[in-house]
Amino acid sequence: MKLNWPAWRRRFPFWRILRLTLLAALLLVALFALYLDWRVSEEFSGRRWAMPARVYARALELFPGARLTPTMLTQELQLLGYKEGFDGAEPARFERRGDVIELVTRAFPFWDGAQPARALRLAFRGGKIETLRERGNDFPVDLVRLDPLLIGGIYPAHNEDRVLVKFDEVPRDLVNALLAIEDRQFYSHIGVDPRGVARATVATLSGKGVQGGSTLTQQLVKNFYLTPERTLRRKVTEMVMALLLELHYDKQEILEAYVNEIYLGQDRNRAIHGFGLAAHHYFGKPLQRLTLAESALLVGMVKGPSLYDPHRHPQRALERRNLVLAEMRELGHINAEQFLRAKASPLGVAEKPGVGTSPHPAFLDLVRRQLRQDYDESDIRSEGLKIFTTLDPHVQRAAERALVTRLASLDAARKGTPPLEGAIVVTSTENGEVQALVGGRDVRYEGFNRALDAHRPVGSLLKPAIYLTALAEPARYTLVTPLLDERFVWKSRGTEDWEPRNYDRKFHGRVPLRTALAESYNVSSARLGTELGIERVLGTVRRLGIERPLPPFAATLLGAADLTPLEVTRMYQTLASGGFRVPPRAIREVLTSDGQPLKRYGLSVEQAFEPAPVYLLTAALQGVVRDGTAQGLKQYVSPELNVAGKTGTTDELRDAWFAGFTGDRLAVVWLGYDDNRPSRLTGASGAMPVWGDMMAPLTHEPLVLPQPENIELVAVDPQTGLRAGAGCINAVELPFITGSAPTAREPCAAPPAPTLSPEKKSKSWWQRLFE
Amino acid sequence: MVLALVRCAVVPPPATPEEALARTPVSDSNAIVALVEAARTDTDGGNFIKAAAALERALRIEPRNPRLWHELAQLKLKEGDYVQAASMAARSNTWAGTDKMLRAANWRLIGEARRSTGDEAGARAAFDKADALTR
Repeated sequence: MKLNWPAWRRRFPFWRILRLTLLAALLLVALFALYLDWRVSEEFSGRRWAMPARVYARALELFPGARLTPTMLTQELQLLGYKEGFDGAEPARFERRGDVIELVTRAFPFWDGAQPARALRLAFRGGKIETLRERGNDFPVDLVRLDPLLIGGIYPAHNEDRVLVKFDEVPRDLVNALLAIEDRQFYSHIGVDPRGVARATVATLSGKGVQGGSTLTQQLVKNFYLTPERTLRRKVTEMVMALLLELHYDKQEILEAYVNEIYLGQDRNRAIHGFGLAAHHYFGKPLQRLTLAESALLVGMVKGPSLYDPHRHPQRALERRNLVLAEMRELGHINAEQFLRAKASPLGVAEKPGVGTSPHPAFLDLVRRQLRQDYDESDIRSEGLKIFTTLDPHVQRAAERALVTRLASLDAARKGTPPLEGAIVVTSTENGEVQALVGGRDVRYEGFNRALDAHRPVGSLLKPAIYLTALAEPARYTLVTPLLDERFVWKSRGTEDWEPRNYDRKFHGRVPLRTALAESYNVSSARLGTELGIERVLGTVRRLGIERPLPPFAATLLGAADLTPLEVTRMYQTLASGGFRVPPRAIREVLTSDGQPLKRYGLSVEQAFEPAPVYLLTAALQGVVRDGTAQGLKQYVSPELNVAGKTGTTDELRDAWFAGFTGDRLAVVWLGYDDNRPSRLTGASGAMPVWGDMMAPLTHEPLVLPQPENIELVAVDPQTGLRAGAGCINAVELPFITGSAPTAREPCAAPPAPTLSPEKKSKSWWQRLFE
Repeated sequence: MVLALVRCAVVPPPATPEEALARTPVSDSNAIVALVEAARTDTDGGNFIKAAAALERALRIEPRNPRLWHELAQLKLKEGDYVQAASMAARSNTWAGTDKMLRAANWRLIGEARRSTGDEAGARAAFDKADALTR
């Protein structure tokens, strides 16, 4: 643009300079305004809140015949925040009368479709749900799910958490309350309130500092774009941006953003943003269902979320709430009756301990690691994914309690030592779902996760791999094959001579194979392992699911190899599921933020071993618990469960392990010190009691193995390993792969041998199936 | 015509193991039956993922039900996941006990899965096992 200056002005360079300076200043201001305008529109319209991924426990399935007691259901309902006593058809309510529980479930958008709220009546009997009917009309119900427990989130930076709401979901009362107490002129001002500005200016000029006079729009700008410093420049910027925001967007859009953005408190390390989440956090319900008094309380907290925290300062919060109500009354938003009723109501905040980002950080850690194989960390933290996991809150609680209590009593008996540590993994035997995971004694601590990251020597836990390798060769080895437990020195070029010793420092002569495993004899196991070949045994370890290469030395056979509790779980999972590798899984499904299925983590099984040798090994592992190193377990759980397990103890008693499974649950427990000092515990004295404490309060299927077709039961004398008969008193019936049973007979056995008293009196698996 | 109908009703045609299975319910639990029905509908509609989810949900309720493992194996076969199909049929067999028809159906399924991966000898061995069970 060409400027045509009048001639007379050219004679006055002073004016010209002034003019140019002003112009430049104006240009700068305009540029700055343009920049702010760009920021306002760019960030506001493109505004997508970083939404944390929400992580849910498994949903409890209710169906006739489900193993569930009224007490367990009540606990679950309480965990889910269901209240006692009905309130019309209001969801999340329940009543228990003896063995009958009535409830109204919460509606929930599941992976495979939304489930509406259901009113139900459950009758229990014998530890099971006997009938499941609709409440009111007694219509039978086949299957229904409770809403799953939220067990945490994976959060964006600063652990900012929110539940987004649309403007029309916000209760009218809440909007009225907000405008009454924070910004009465909201619908008439242009982003800044001139009177407020005037007040603020006076205050600023009179030296009282930059303060006050913020409209909702300004508060939003402050929260959105600016740092919390209080300077004049920032105040001016804030005003300009507020004006610009109002220029571009209508009042409703601004209010909706405000309602979702405003900071409303802290839950340990998690920041509560927006009224949507605040409603859940403080009252345990969705925003739409807040009462007048509850809305007023949340609005009152805007001014100072920690100052008016209803948990820490109930009186102050109550007064503030009542002030909000009074303002609403004054403006005629509510009538006198509403006012008095709301004013007289208690605070009504939900009593729940702060959980921060999760009450079970170790399990969340596993979830996050499994997610990271498929998603970017930033997507996990910001896309609002819904993650449905396998965690069973009852099992998790039993695991945490068992570990914490046992470690505390062990520590109390020792002086001047650092705290003992431990880790637990619990899975479902059939499908590998991780039901519980504890990463250390401070179960709420989001730190070193021993279940996943503590690499510790496993001791005798590897022995089953030796015995499985042997039992897969029925022509050479059966459960009664005599093994030699005599001094043994293994010489290998390039390594020191290796001379394993038994725990009791004795030799036991000739021992049946199953006894060598039950008593965990090192010498006979080492002889067997080296006889089979170290490489072959390590091959079995790999097929069992241990991917990490182990040192190819003889000492590895006796557990001189470091594994994590999760790796040990992987290995025993293959045994617990009959020779099928089933990788441990913590996630079932992932949904997008708007409820669309995104990914399913399906069941995967892979046959790694023939059923028969696994059957024999499991029978031997049941022997470990029945009359071997883990026989103390019967003080904790019923012998009828036929638990199969193995203790593990390492050199100088540094590590104590126990891995064991029932018919439906596998659990691995490790105890030891982080700095590797001797724990003075064995698998049986340290880890097994934790396993027992944990499993005792849970329901279980007994371990009754399906008998493979090539297995036969044959009566033998347990001492000699010879075939027994009707005349033999001490005979036991043991499984053999067809054709491998001993043929030589005891003198007492008159051919042909009839069936004798079976060693265990449990019903066969198929009898159980048809019960 | 009427006679023909009567004869049909009286003399059932020789059943394949799959047909024999179809005549017996998957479970005596209504919950399981409903889930399997839903899974079959989803499978027919090509929604394999949803079908698998329903079957796995059923398996969580009755983990030792060999019929459910067999259903899942069938689904995996349809999906073209032959390794899983064969493994799940084998898992079904471990729980199948004396149910010869189910075991035969599992072996036939294993045979088909092996054939699809090019293991013709393995497939023939599996089909032989199935025949031996139905003979």
